[in-house]
Amino acid sequence: MKFKKCFQLALNIFIHSKLRSWLTIIGIVIGIAAVVSIISISLGAQQQLEERLGSLGADVLTVTKGMQRAMGGGFGGGEGGPGEGRGSSISSTTESKNLTARDVTVIKATPNVKLVMGQISGTADIAYSGKTVKDAKVNGVDISIWKDITTDTIDSGRFLTKGDSYSVVIGKNVAGTVFGKEVSLNNKILIAGKSFNVVGILEEGSSYYIPIDIARAILEDVGEKDFNSISVKIADVDISNQTVSDITKKLMLSRGILQEKNKDFTVSNPEAMQETMKETMSTMTLFLGAIAAISLIVGAIGIANTMFTSVLEKTKEIGIMKAIGTRNIDIMIIFLLNSGLIGLIGGIGGVILGIIASSSINSLAGTSSGMARGMFSSSAVNIQLIVGALLFSMIIGMIAGAIPAYRASKLNPVDALRYE
Amino acid sequence: MKQESLIKIENVWKKYDMGSEEPLVVLKEINLDIKSQEFIAITGPSGSGKSTMVNIVGALDKPSWGSVCLNNQNISEMSESSLAFLRGKTIGFIFQQFNLLPNLTALQNVMLPMEISDEPEYIAKKRAKELLESLGLGERLNHKPNQLSGGQQQRVAIARALSNDPQVILADEPTGNLDSTTGKFVMDFLGRLHSQGKTIILITHDIELVKYAKRIIHIKDGRIEKETTNTKWRN
Ligand SMILES: Nc1ncnc2c1ncn2[C@@H]1O[C@H](COP(=O)(O)OP(=O)(O)OP(=O)(O)O)[C@@H](O)[C@H]1O
Ligand SMILES: [Mg+2]
Repeated sequence: MKFKKCFQLALNIFIHSKLRSWLTIIGIVIGIAAVVSIISISLGAQQQLEERLGSLGADVLTVTKGMQRAMGGGFGGGEGGPGEGRGSSISSTTESKNLTARDVTVIKATPNVKLVMGQISGTADIAYSGKTVKDAKVNGVDISIWKDITTDTIDSGRFLTKGDSYSVVIGKNVAGTVFGKEVSLNNKILIAGKSFNVVGILEEGSSYYIPIDIARAILEDVGEKDFNSISVKIADVDISNQTVSDITKKLMLSRGILQEKNKDFTVSNPEAMQETMKETMSTMTLFLGAIAAISLIVGAIGIANTMFTSVLEKTKEIGIMKAIGTRNIDIMIIFLLNSGLIGLIGGIGGVILGIIASSSINSLAGTSSGMARGMFSSSAVNIQLIVGALLFSMIIGMIAGAIPAYRASKLNPVDALRYE
Repeated sequence: MKQESLIKIENVWKKYDMGSEEPLVVLKEINLDIKSQEFIAITGPSGSGKSTMVNIVGALDKPSWGSVCLNNQNISEMSESSLAFLRGKTIGFIFQQFNLLPNLTALQNVMLPMEISDEPEYIAKKRAKELLESLGLGERLNHKPNQLSGGQQQRVAIARALSNDPQVILADEPTGNLDSTTGKFVMDFLGRLHSQGKTIILITHDIELVKYAKRIIHIKDGRIEKETTNTKWRN
């Protein structure tokens, strides 16, 4: 029998199938929907993660004071420059000495280190066009190094350079939204009562960067000589882990720390962090995927069950088919196609439901804040995922229908004909 | 005139294993030689083994012992797919229960054996229409079996049996579920097919119908009890 005819007959069985088959299909719909939404959401989260971590720059390490207890929460990367972004994942639980110029010197002498810049950050009230933002975070950077070490990019204007004093570079968000009125290049903003000229606007973020000497003079809660963080640009990213441990050893030595557990500073490596985050993500995806897979297995058992019943019900028809010349293999193909079709239709429903589910989770996350917003506000439903899900559901249907189909094909024609 | 035998049954036995009980022997030592273009009636009491014998002849069932040759080919030695081919092309079945596929229309039911044997669709359709029209069902092509009367269903079944122009028609009580008028129509149609050169094997326990056949095989308790020749046969 031609394949086309087998397919027509399989379709005919499907069209005339009972409510039961449709209930079975719902099982597959749910399973596939779960898989599709989980995969698309975690793909989306992974993309977000990569974008955000990518903007940190893999060749810049950050040294901060305090001991980092755990990874995580490091998604503020887009928000600020070097110090702020990576510093946010660190909790200073131990009373620790500040980072000093001496630390900078020590780090400079470490192999594979290209540039080192100490940075401070403090708070100040900032005003523009009659509106004041209280306690905004302002970063003081070394104007001779900053433009070479920062991972931010300029949208308009320029970075701070030698000769700048009361100049400020602001993030795009500040320029756009914070003061209700757009801040443009060469506008003046007041930081801690002093007038600053806006010389550059960064492509993203909502930070303020001013020269470090000025920052020490006007900001509250910053020391005279110490730094809040030190950015380290390395030459060869491939050995960044080695560099991290070199820096750690040297700093421990110079800071008089003997044991690892007493360490009062942290050297963060964006590469390693990225790896850890990715691992966490894929573990999560795997876990959720396993749950979805279980629901799919349940769906597949449903199909198998329906197919067994269907073959039983159609015993007589199978006998008739055989009496008029149908080969066993064709009977088998017809029933395999039939169960594949049940899977496929379930898959189509599941893909649609999955897309709806993941996009509603997106919009839920979009209205929420923080981490959820960052990670789940975009899902990645792509054509591979859709085609893959459809193929997968069809194959599941066929696997579930394989034994019933085999049984159908092996029925003895006389017994089948006699079946009522 | 000595003719080649079309169907040759030699020492065929059929038994069913009944678990712990004695096996049930339903055919015993059946020997029968059927020539091409014969019209044979098989008759006997209910449960005597008529259907079993015809099913074996039609390659739907296998004998427990003995051989059945169709066109000099031993059926028990054939592969499953050649048996299927045989059932589709060489043999046409007509059953008491009509046995149409319920979800296909009359036309589709008649087309199916042709499509199974890879006949192009348009040829199958053309031939199926012609057959159904010749059986007076030109107006019922797109009816499903449950929209047809018993007699109409049996005519569709006949059209289906003829679709691949088989050598042999096996009819197992084809009029058993029909009233006498429709039954007569069916029998006359079988007679016509016979005069067109088909070999016909008819199972019936209706003495009235036996007269359509020339050779009558009487079966009792799984054995051929006797064979009679219809003296009043039309030829
Ligand atoms: N699968 C089976 N298992 C056990 N016994 C069977 C089986 N099929 C048929 N038989 C037995 O074989 C015997 C012959 O059955 P068969 O159907 O050939 O009779 P028949 O002559 O066609 O009767 P009827 O005129 O009522 O149709 C019966 O006694 C029946 O019970
Ligand atoms: Mg019978």
